[in-house]
Parts: sequence; structure tokens; C-alpha cells
Amino acid sequence: MSASDRARSAFERIVTASGVERLLISVSALVLSILIGGVIVLAAGRMADCGTAAYRLALPGSFVTQFTGGSAVVAMGFCYDPIAVYDLLFLGAFGDVLGDPTNGQFATTLAETTVLAFAGVAVAVAFRAGVFNIGAQGQLVVGALTTAVTLLFVAPLFGGLGVLGTVVVLPLGLLLGALGGGLYGALPGALKAYADANEVITTIMLNFVATSVALWLVNDSSRFKDPDSFSNQTVPLPEFSQFPSVFFRARDDFSVVALAVGVLTLVGVWYLLTRTSFGYDLRTSGIQPDAAEYGGVDADRTVVASMALSGALAGIGGAVYVLMMLGNFQTGVPTYGFDGITVSILAGNNPLGVGFAALLFGVLKSGSIVVQVGSDVPPELVGVLRGLIILFVAMPEFFRMAGRRFDSLLPEREEPQGAVATDGGVSDE
Amino acid sequence: MSSATETASRSLSRTYDYLFVGRSRLQQVVVAAGLVALLGLVGAAVFFPETAAADLVAVLTDSSTLAATLRLSVPIAFAALGGIFAEKSGVINIGLEGLLIIAAFTGIYATDVTGSVWFGLFGGVVASTLLAALFAVVCIEFKADQIIAGLAVWLIALGLAPFASTVVYGGKTSASVATLPTVTDMGLPFVSAFVTTELGFVVDLPVFGVLDLQSSLVGLPFFGALFDAGPAVYLMFVAVALSWYTLNRTAFGRWVRASGENPKALDTAGVNVHRVRYAAVLLSGVLAGVGGAALALGIGQFTGSGPTMVNGKGFIAIVAYLFGNYNPIGAFFSTILFAGLDATQLTLQARDVFQVPRPLVRTIPYVAVIVVLALFGRTRLPSAAGDSYDSGEGE
Repeated sequence: MSASDRARSAFERIVTASGVERLLISVSALVLSILIGGVIVLAAGRMADCGTAAYRLALPGSFVTQFTGGSAVVAMGFCYDPIAVYDLLFLGAFGDVLGDPTNGQFATTLAETTVLAFAGVAVAVAFRAGVFNIGAQGQLVVGALTTAVTLLFVAPLFGGLGVLGTVVVLPLGLLLGALGGGLYGALPGALKAYADANEVITTIMLNFVATSVALWLVNDSSRFKDPDSFSNQTVPLPEFSQFPSVFFRARDDFSVVALAVGVLTLVGVWYLLTRTSFGYDLRTSGIQPDAAEYGGVDADRTVVASMALSGALAGIGGAVYVLMMLGNFQTGVPTYGFDGITVSILAGNNPLGVGFAALLFGVLKSGSIVVQVGSDVPPELVGVLRGLIILFVAMPEFFRMAGRRFDSLLPEREEPQGAVATDGGVSDE
Repeated sequence: MSSATETASRSLSRTYDYLFVGRSRLQQVVVAAGLVALLGLVGAAVFFPETAAADLVAVLTDSSTLAATLRLSVPIAFAALGGIFAEKSGVINIGLEGLLIIAAFTGIYATDVTGSVWFGLFGGVVASTLLAALFAVVCIEFKADQIIAGLAVWLIALGLAPFASTVVYGGKTSASVATLPTVTDMGLPFVSAFVTTELGFVVDLPVFGVLDLQSSLVGLPFFGALFDAGPAVYLMFVAVALSWYTLNRTAFGRWVRASGENPKALDTAGVNVHRVRYAAVLLSGVLAGVGGAALALGIGQFTGSGPTMVNGKGFIAIVAYLFGNYNPIGAFFSTILFAGLDATQLTLQARDVFQVPRPLVRTIPYVAVIVVLALFGRTRLPSAAGDSYDSGEGE
């Protein structure tokens, strides 16, 4: 097979199947969510009190009235300007990236992206196996806690070794996170496989349990609370056991090394899912559980294994969060697990797509800080967008219908057909 | 044998059937162990009144524990009833949590704007029903995956309620508004006065023995709470009974069940499956709306930080109706179980009886849900639940 043939077949693989349709659905869902988010910002602007309107909607608008003279017939003022908000949200997240590529805001964006990539790929692995892991949040918390607490005792042993210490301790920290998260993920997996307990409910309940137990472990200095701090957090880890900041400033809490680990993990999971027999078994169990069983796959074990893998990935995300951003464990972990669900669904549960979706959500999370500083609009807007995106990606039929209607206006074309982007291969009629 | 003893023995054997017959060995062992533990606890409390067991029984039999149980049952029970209707019709509504959250916030906001808790309750119901309508369109019209659409409903509400609260009140926690009154201060003619009047007589019942009604109804030990609850609690009793009647004794109930079990047959019989499913999902929105608004109006404030004040009650409701095997009455009793655990842990925290750390005590209801789901989760779903129905027309 020549190189050009191989390139062509690769290109065909991308275009055929339902790849393009999935991408179109994800992009349309995103655009629609942003539009509806804008409407919500306008509506919120009517509910809030403000002296002067930040945004005026007039019919006919000023573009027309400047020629015709007179004033608008209908005019309405809003406290918030959706365009300005989106400007802050999307462009603010990059800071002055052209002038200073290592600026603080962009570093925050990339740091959020890194953790979200782990949370997203964790959810994606489970989805591909036909399991809904809503517990990535809890697994991430357990992973973060395991790393932060265990390294406190292990790291001092390697204190005098300098760079060598980092080389030993850092991977160990990630491994501990994977172990903690993996075990905490395997638990609902086993409950589903052997006791038929619905994993959506058990994982959500385990999220609550993880948060409460973590609070208990770090709210008293007789346990793991930092006695020198008023807030509920563990003792800070030594500097050498954390991710080193290369290129970026140390105070921006971002490490290119962590991002590289994230990218490698995404590629690794993609390879595992698409190129190994374990991945094949896992995906078959997701799409056709009966066929997989007939083919000799132990369905119960696959569920436990995929949940353990999923939890381990989320746990590494928690470890990265501790070792790159915080330097210790603190209660009130941001909702990376829930964002991870959106990231995964937006990416069509494809590990490589997760990278791009994570970047988008990294922008949203980092941009929400800019919005908070630069406008009166609550940063919780991102939470609304998160839900809307899932909702719209979940209804591909809507976009297909819209597409068909649009299609019928055009000369003959083949109707798009293919799998649903969000089903994780679960439902099939 | 007198008829009273006959009734008693019959209800005893029915309870036995419900608890043990048709269950796996493991489930039987767990149920039996639970009963033995309960008897042991009561026995220990009676014979050793100075021990921790006696303290626990004192907490459990306190009138305030029953009051808290009933109060905490309201959102779970209403959401569970809603979930039964939706799932029986073939639409798994995992977004109940989101409906509760949006109703809780709107309940407070509408009360704040109109000045009336009743309009507030109504506002919460409207908001929840609108969100349920969106969910229904997405699932029924656009054939979305029900689990993912339900998660979306939850996450939308989880984002929208704190967002709106910050817009209106400047923070994730709202201002305080009036709360739903209880019977004693509702000023109902006759009733409000009656429950606080000292009755001052003794009833000699054949089976129960002498019943001392010297005090007022409200002042009764333990059961006094039943006579001084908020209107939502009584609404809950009515809703449970009506839901059971609607599902089992009316044409609509038959359609809902058929729509979930065999939509094709229902379609053949000339009933529009989509319309039945829309009605069922909207009904789940109405019911969850009452629950969510009543939850917030019981406290008079919306708390939107973290998982919000709803705090997983929508998901506990799902387990409650699974445990109750889709029967409104069974769902109500499992709701009482979960809410009772929650009320007990709240009372334990308040009294500091056992010195158990608060964060750990707080996990009791969630752990109980997992255990119940693992032991009794093997329920039979309606056979068409989760599938969208296509009548083959209109394409």
C-alpha cells in the first residue's frame, strides 16, 4: 500500500461512517447553545436592576434610523450585553496570547483544559462500554485526596535527590491518583455487574459520599488538616513533587509537562480502544452486549474493568489538579466531573475529540473568571451552557430534521444516516 | 376469633409476604437482620434505659423526628410519584433532580415577587412543568437518548438556578421569604383551633388498649407531628392516594401502563402513544414542581451552592420508586425510610448524641440508597421504557 493510498483510506475513514455528521451535530449544538445562552443573558438582564442599559434592542435599529431619521418604534434596554459577555468569555480566556503566549489567563485556560481532558476521557471510556459514569467527579476527588495525602508521607523520603526526586515522586503521585480513582470507580462497576444496581444512581450517590468523606478527612488536624491553615486543606506538598513549570510562570499553576501527559493519555486511550482486543471487547459490549457475550466476552468483567479504567483516568485528573494547580488538597473541588460529561458527549465519546472539547471547556471555565471580573453577569452562565450543550447533542434527530428540511430545498443529495453521537453505542432500535 | 384479631393476623401475613416471599436468600437474610436489629434496639432501650440504644430510640420516637421525616419526605415523594408516571409511560425521567431544583428557586422567586407563598408554589410548578415539557419534546419528538437528556435537564437546572439567584439576589443563596404555614398557624377555621385544644378524655379501644387523649392532638407523643405539619405534607398524602388510584383504576392509568409495556398495542387500540407520554411527563413535571417548591418554601430560602439545597433528593426519589416497585404506596413507604434516615441524622447532629463526625453522618442516606439499590435494584422496568416510539406515520 503506497503512502498516498494509505492517506486516502485514512481520509475516507474520517469522512465516511458518521464522523462528519457527528462533528456537524456537535458544532450545531454548540452554536445553538450559545444563541440560547445569549437569550438567557438578555432575559437575566431584564430581571436584574441597573442604572443604564448595557444593551439596547431597537426596531428599526440605529443602522436604519441614521438614514431615515426619527427614532426606533420599539426599543428595549437590557442590563447585560450578550455580545460583550461572549467576547469576554471566549477571547478573554486567551488573554494577550499573540503578544505574550505565556500570559496568566492563557495558562489558566490550558491548566483547566488539562484536567478536563482527563475527566472527559474518563467519561468517554465508560460511555464507549455502554456504562454511564456520572461519578467522575467523586473519582476525581478520591484520586486527588489519595495523591495529596499519600505523597505527604512518601515525598520526604526522596527530598534530597533534586530532579531525580521529581522523576520518581511525580509519576508515583499520578499512579496513586489512578489507584484511588480506579478503586472508587470499580465499586459502582461491580455493583452494576453483580447486583444490577443502576450505575447512574450509584455513581451520583458516591459523589456525595466522596465529598463528605473528603471533608471529614481534612477538617480536623487530628486527621490530615493543615494545622497552620484556617480552611479545610491538607499540608502543602514539597515543591519538587509537583509538576515543574516550563516556559510558563510558576505562579500561573500550569505545566506543559502535565499537558503533554494529558495528550499522551488521550492518544493512549484512543489506541487502547481502537487497536487492542480489550478495546474491541469494550466497544462491542457497549454497542451489542448480547453479541459480545456470544463472542466470548465476559460482560460483567468488562463493566468492572471499564469503570475501573474510567475511574483511574478521573483519578489521574484529580492528581494532576493537586500536583499542578493546588499543591495540596482543598475541599470544594470544581465540578470537573460534570464538565467531563459534556466534554465527552460533545466529542462523540472519541478520546481524540475529547482533546478539542476539553480545550473549548477550558476556554469557557477560564473565560468565566474574566466574565466575573469584567461584567456583572454571573459566571454560572457556563453551567447553563454545559447543560444546554448536552441537551442539544443528545437530540441529533432535531438537527437531522432541520437538515432534511434544508436539504429538500437543495438539488438531490444523499440523506445522512448513521449512529447517534451521544448514545455511547447503548441504545439501538 | 374476633374480627379485629383476624384483620391483625391477615395484615401480619401480608406484611410477611411482602417482606420475604419472592425474594432471594440474600435479600431475606438482610430483611430478617434488619427486623432483628430493630427489635434488639427497642428491647435494649426498654431494658437498659441508660445506654446509647435508649438514646437512639428516644431520637427515633421523638415527635420532632417524625415532623422532620414528613417535611423531608415531601420533595422525594412528589418527585417519586412523578417519576413513576413518566417511567410507567416509557420515558425514564432521570432529570427529576433538575425539576426539583428549578421549582425550588422559582418557588422562592415567585413568592418574593408576589408576596404569597401560594403563588410561589404555583410558580414553582409552572417552572418545573415547562422544563419537563422541554424534556418531553426532546425525548418524544426528537428521540433523544432519555438518560442523557435527563442528565441535561439536571445540569441545566444546576446551572440556571444559581445563575438566576445571582442575577436577582446577588449570590447563590436567595433572600429569605415567607414560609408555608403549619396547621396551627394557618388560621383555618375550626381545624387550627381544634388540633391545639386539650381533649381531656380516654378511649378504650379493643385491640390497642387504652389510648390516652388527655393532651391536644398536636401534643401527642410522636404522632403529634401529624397534626401540625405544613400543607405540603397533607398534599403529599392526597397525591400518593390519587396517584395510586389514577394508575390502577382509571383509563388514563391503563394507557400510561400500556404505553410503557406495549405501545404498539395501545396505538392499535386507537390511543395516541405520544400524547399519553407527553401527559405523563408533564404530570411528572407538575408533581416534582410541587415537591421542589414546597422544599424551598418550607425553609423560606433557596440555597444554590454546590449541589444546591435539593442535594440529590431527585435521585433518591428514583431509588424510592424502584424500591417501591413502581407502586405509589410502596414508593411512599421507601421515601419515608430514606427521609427518616435523613431526619435521624439531622436530629443526631443537632443533639450530638453519639459524637459521630457530622460529615460522616451526613452520608448515611446516600449509603443507604446504594445498599438498597444493590440489594433490591433488580426491578423489572416497563418493557418499552427508554425507547422512543415511532408510529410510522407522518414521515
